[in-house]
Amino acid sequence: MSRLIKIALREYLAYVRTPGFWLSILLLPVGISAYGLAPILMARSTPVPTLAVVDFSGRGLEGDIDKAVSARGDLGQPLARVVAAPGAPFTSPAQAVARLKPALARGGPLEAAAILRPSGDSVAIDFWSRNVSDRSVQGAVEAAVGSALRRERLRAAGVDPAVLASIDRVSPRLIEFSPGSDSGRVALKDRLPGIVGFAMGMLLWMVVLTGAGMLLNSVIEEKSSRILEVLMSSASVPEIMGGKILGVAAVTGTVLAFWLSIAAAVLIIRFPAIAGDLASILMANGLWAYFGLYFIGGYLMFATLYVTIGAFCETTREAQTLLGPLMILMSVPLVFMSQALTRPDAPLLAALAWFPPFTPFMMAARVATNPPLWQVAATAALMFALTGLELWVAIPAFKSGALATGRFDVRHFLRSLAVRGRD
Amino acid sequence: MQAALVLERVTKRYGAFTAVDDLSFEAGAGKIMGFLGPNGAGKTSTLRMALGLIAPSSGAISVLGARDAAQVRSRIGFLPEERGLYRRMTPVTVIAFLAGLKGVAAPEARRRARALLESQGLADAADRQIRSLSKGMAQKVQLLSAIAHEPDLVILDEPFSGLDPVNQQSLEGLLRDLAARGSTVIFSTHVMQHAERVCDQVVLMARGRKVFDGTVEAARAAAPRALIVEGVFEPSQMADLPGLEALTVEGLEGSGVRVTAALKPGAPAQEMLRAAFAKGLEISRFELREPRLHDAFIVLTSAGAAE
Repeated sequence: MSRLIKIALREYLAYVRTPGFWLSILLLPVGISAYGLAPILMARSTPVPTLAVVDFSGRGLEGDIDKAVSARGDLGQPLARVVAAPGAPFTSPAQAVARLKPALARGGPLEAAAILRPSGDSVAIDFWSRNVSDRSVQGAVEAAVGSALRRERLRAAGVDPAVLASIDRVSPRLIEFSPGSDSGRVALKDRLPGIVGFAMGMLLWMVVLTGAGMLLNSVIEEKSSRILEVLMSSASVPEIMGGKILGVAAVTGTVLAFWLSIAAAVLIIRFPAIAGDLASILMANGLWAYFGLYFIGGYLMFATLYVTIGAFCETTREAQTLLGPLMILMSVPLVFMSQALTRPDAPLLAALAWFPPFTPFMMAARVATNPPLWQVAATAALMFALTGLELWVAIPAFKSGALATGRFDVRHFLRSLAVRGRD
Repeated sequence: MQAALVLERVTKRYGAFTAVDDLSFEAGAGKIMGFLGPNGAGKTSTLRMALGLIAPSSGAISVLGARDAAQVRSRIGFLPEERGLYRRMTPVTVIAFLAGLKGVAAPEARRRARALLESQGLADAADRQIRSLSKGMAQKVQLLSAIAHEPDLVILDEPFSGLDPVNQQSLEGLLRDLAARGSTVIFSTHVMQHAERVCDQVVLMARGRKVFDGTVEAARAAAPRALIVEGVFEPSQMADLPGLEALTVEGLEGSGVRVTAALKPGAPAQEMLRAAFAKGLEISRFELREPRLHDAFIVLTSAGAAE
């Protein structure tokens, strides 16, 4: 056991002592923060565009447009600021265009200009803009003019616009109920298990993929440099495999703990109610143990497989031969986990949860359906039985692979897996 | 004294291929044993069986008195043939880690690591990453990591390969020191000079079979002594001299020749020389060359292959 711990500790320190580890651990929170802050920073650092309104429609629409573009958006910034048109007054739209064009040119004082002119019984808008990519100001102008025209028509038809506005506000009061919610009425708290399950499933998928990838590279390095042979003369194969799996589990555990601590801190500070709901959900019915069970089972199952593959390969390229089909298999739960967000009780999802390689992901995603205890016990038993069988086959295979020389040979790999069967 | 390693009629087969065939030998405690043979002779398979890394197909192996090497693995040191180390670890940490796996407590392992590195002139490199060391320095670190736990049995697979002459000599000294301290050293090689200089016992292998087991002197005795005669004479005149066989003739500058011949077992060289002078041969140089281990190796492995 002490050798297993020593191997695990070496493995752990080999990763956490590298600058790359700390860069990657910080990258996700920094990336998420940047994603959230970028629009705000952009909005605050960009000056509010200026808009000139030239109204030949005779309907006095400038006020409506000013009101529409001055409304502050989600980021607290108005869409545009209406300014006096340089060179006004104008005698015709053509003259307005001719005089405004220099002001709209690069470096000019104007960002956009809306020239309104009569068009039959409606209004045409010639919208000139320096920035053709941003259509938000143009959309606001169009909506404001459209709204003013509709009010005008209603008035002409003898309908009071205030009556229409009150009619538009009429909406039934929908109250959601579910027999599964504590109070009967559905709240965010009732949806959280599904979201948490999906998030946990995804997290496990990422942990398995990154952890197993780290294990694979580590074993390949030791195999290609013959360190594995030295290790095998000092420790048993289960100690080596166990130490490596435990060491990388500690590495991924450190990463997860770091990320989850940051997420928890942000939730507690910014959204204390959601943080409280999340905590009560995880603690209620032993959900933390439920996720822990499938996390451990899933990690062990895939880690064992990757370690064994690594023992047969001198380079990562050789490992790709076997990883290709494995990645296709791994992508299946990814597809179905997203479906579990809306239909966690779908029969296909329940069926997939019984296939041990998919069990940890699908059962995590199905948590909102509150699977019965017998299903949890049976799927977990199957998952651990497969992991046990895998270990039983993998131990002699690992030894055979570690001592083999030359290029990866699929036949040798398969023969090695069959060694136990022949013993 | 109990033998450190005993193999009794050990055979190792990989499918239809027999890598080691009915091999028996004993490595005496505190001795240096050379395990010699050409590539593919079965040396690595034998060493792996001795280490318990692979199981023999038949036969019995006893290592430091145990039937299973796993029971005594903390008393064994091993250096594999093609080797490397964790590139980002320092010599001190890697030696201490591997000694730790053999049961040496961490502080003691680090102390021994520094002492060993200092003794090999690597004190300055003790805390540098392995990847920054030269190949020779890294190989020394690998060897030190195999002996830091002061093993009773050290098994080294081709330890001299890749070392420059200075480091080869240094390694020979290290092997002698290990044996002087009481460790049994077994190393495989196909370079006879090393074995000749340091081994108390050699086991010669060819095509999976043992062709010789004994001292270096006994091995040498298996090869004939060579007689080299230079002078101005007809080479055919030497053919009927007593005790000579396998004559080869080379022309020398001018009119001289050099005849190299094997001296038949038990044949005295002086008698041959007397006969040559009696025949009136004009001899300018006469040399009796004792066989080297290399000569013995060729004779013994050729005989083994012919059987």
